[in-house]
Parts: sequence; structure tokens; C-alpha cells
Amino acid sequence: MKRTVLALACLLYSAAGGTEAPAKGKAVGSPNAPITIEVFNDFQCPSCKILHEQVLRLLIRDYVVPGKVYLIHHEFPLPSHPYARLAASYAEAAARIGKYQEVADVLFLNQVVWAANGKVDQTVASVLTPAEASKIRAMAKDPGIEAEIQHDVDLGRAKGINQTPTMIVIHRSIPYPISGAVNYDLLRGFLDGRLGK
Amino acid sequence: MTMARYSRLLLRIALGCVFVYAAWLKLKEPWQLFAMAVDAYGLLPQWAVIVVARTLPWAELLLGLLLISGVWLRISSAAASLLLLGFLTMMVRSYVAGMKIDCGCFGSDDPISLRTLARDGGFLAGALALTVLAWRAPCARGSSTTTAASPAQAPDCVRER
Repeated sequence: MKRTVLALACLLYSAAGGTEAPAKGKAVGSPNAPITIEVFNDFQCPSCKILHEQVLRLLIRDYVVPGKVYLIHHEFPLPSHPYARLAASYAEAAARIGKYQEVADVLFLNQVVWAANGKVDQTVASVLTPAEASKIRAMAKDPGIEAEIQHDVDLGRAKGINQTPTMIVIHRSIPYPISGAVNYDLLRGFLDGRLGK
Repeated sequence: MTMARYSRLLLRIALGCVFVYAAWLKLKEPWQLFAMAVDAYGLLPQWAVIVVARTLPWAELLLGLLLISGVWLRISSAAASLLLLGFLTMMVRSYVAGMKIDCGCFGSDDPISLRTLARDGGFLAGALALTVLAWRAPCARGSSTTTAASPAQAPDCVRER
């Protein structure tokens, strides 16, 4: 049922002119790649950390860089994680100055620490220059940033997403939702199977 | 037809359809999607995950067709009960452990929740009831083979008309 809704949503997107343009700095690779993967993440979710550190890095190296996959990040902070939305605000702000990847990396790397003490600002600042940190700190409070996060959440809900991490692999307009921190070898087999068609 | 036979007929058709539907949803997708769902339980090594992902949907299809046709009902209902018991045990274990994973029951995008546990629990209850009914049904002449002269004489523990 959800697949049908998802397929219908993708069809509507296609009819409206293709996949929705991602927020600046949150997409990696070529938009013309044969496969698009949309990732819905929550920075405070342990499975998202595993996906980010053990799967997405390899995916970028093996598929995004060679132009086979276009990777789009979406924020999907869960209400059960008290600092997830704050972390998403900093990441969204970092995307505006082209530092999304660095900020996402450090947030996942130190997830256990800031999830316990709430020091998201300090964690993010550790990979930025003082000027960048100050800029991001101010931008994170911008209502526009909050609106972009809410837009990602609404988009995820429209696609039937109710857990993180969820990847939606889109090939020839067919969406394949994959939840959890997947095994990279199996994901690779799946992607190779799609690319070989 | 007695109440027991009506119940048996209803249960085996319903369960058979569930198994065929579950198999169809898995078989129409690339097998790696189901393999990722199996792997998420964290119980099997990768080679076993691949074996399960490539064979289980076919086993579900066969079981579903056997249930619907009523052939070997005692064996197929017992196999369905065991399979559903295994599925439910793994799902409860994952749910209790707080694992946020897909159940893999009906294709992808079916996260384990109280709803899915209740649903599969209902299937298991139905399968167990069917197993009891199938084993209680009398076999004509004590036979377990379909050598009756006419369909009306066929042992109903083996084949229902």
C-alpha cells in the first residue's frame, strides 16, 4: 500500500518536472545519474550514525563519485530525540555555506556525547573556523532554516516515512524504500542489479 | 458440511491467500530488498541471509498453494504454524530489543510495531487452529493417501472438496 502511495507521489513529482530540487549543499553527485537516492536522517538516531559512517561513505566513493548515483540528504528529526531538531538546524545552516558534509560527519562522530549533554553548538564549531561557526550559529535560529527542516519532514511523511534512517532508491521512476542501517554488500548488489538493467 | 469443516475451509483459504500474497510481494521486488530486511534482524551470517532471501518467498508460495488446494493439509498447516511461530519470535525479540527495522513480512517498508505483532499473532492463531482442526479431522479408512474411489470418499484430512 505504502509502495503504491510512494509510486504515485513519484509519478506526480515526475509529472511536475522531476525530482524536487534539494536544498543547496545537501545533494552530492550528478542530477543526471541513473539512480537517485534520497536519505531521510535523524542526527540523534544510532542507526543513522551506522548508515552514515559505514554505508554512505562507501556509497559516495563507489557510486556517487563515478556518476552512477545522485545522493540527496533530507532532515527527519524524530520528536523522541530532544536534540535532533537542533542538530538538523545546524546541519541545514551549514549546507548554506557548503559545509553540510563536514558538519554531518562531526555530528554523527560525536553523537553519543552531544546527545547526552546537548552541546550541539560546540560539536559543530569544532570543524569550522570561528567566523563560520558564528555565521552558522546565527543562521540556525533563522525561521527559514526551521521551515526547510519542516519541509523535509513533510516530504518524508508524504512519502510514508515513519522511521529513520530510510533511503528511497529511485530508478526509472520506481521508488524502492529501504529502512535501517543496511548491509553495504547487499545494497551494492541491489544497485548493481538496477544499473545492469 | 459441519462447522469444523467450514472453519477449516475458511482458515486454509485465508491463510493460503496470506502466504501467496506475501510471496508475491517479495518475488516481484529485487531479492536484495528482502535480503536487507532479513539481514536487519542480525541473526544470520550473510551467506545464510542470501539463502533465506532467495528461497523463503518460494517456500511461502508453495505453502500458500498447498493450503488453498487442501493437499497435505496436516503437513502444510503444521509447517505454516512453525513458520509463523518462527517469524513472530524473531519479530518480538527485535521489538523488545528496541530495533527499528522492517519486519520483511509483506515486501519492503513494513516496520515492526505493535500492529505488525498483533497481525502476525493473529495469523499464528489461525494457523494453530487450522493445524488442530486438520489433525482432528477423521481420515477415511484410516488412510493417508488419496486412493479413494470418488472425491466424496477422499479422506478429508488430506483433501477437501
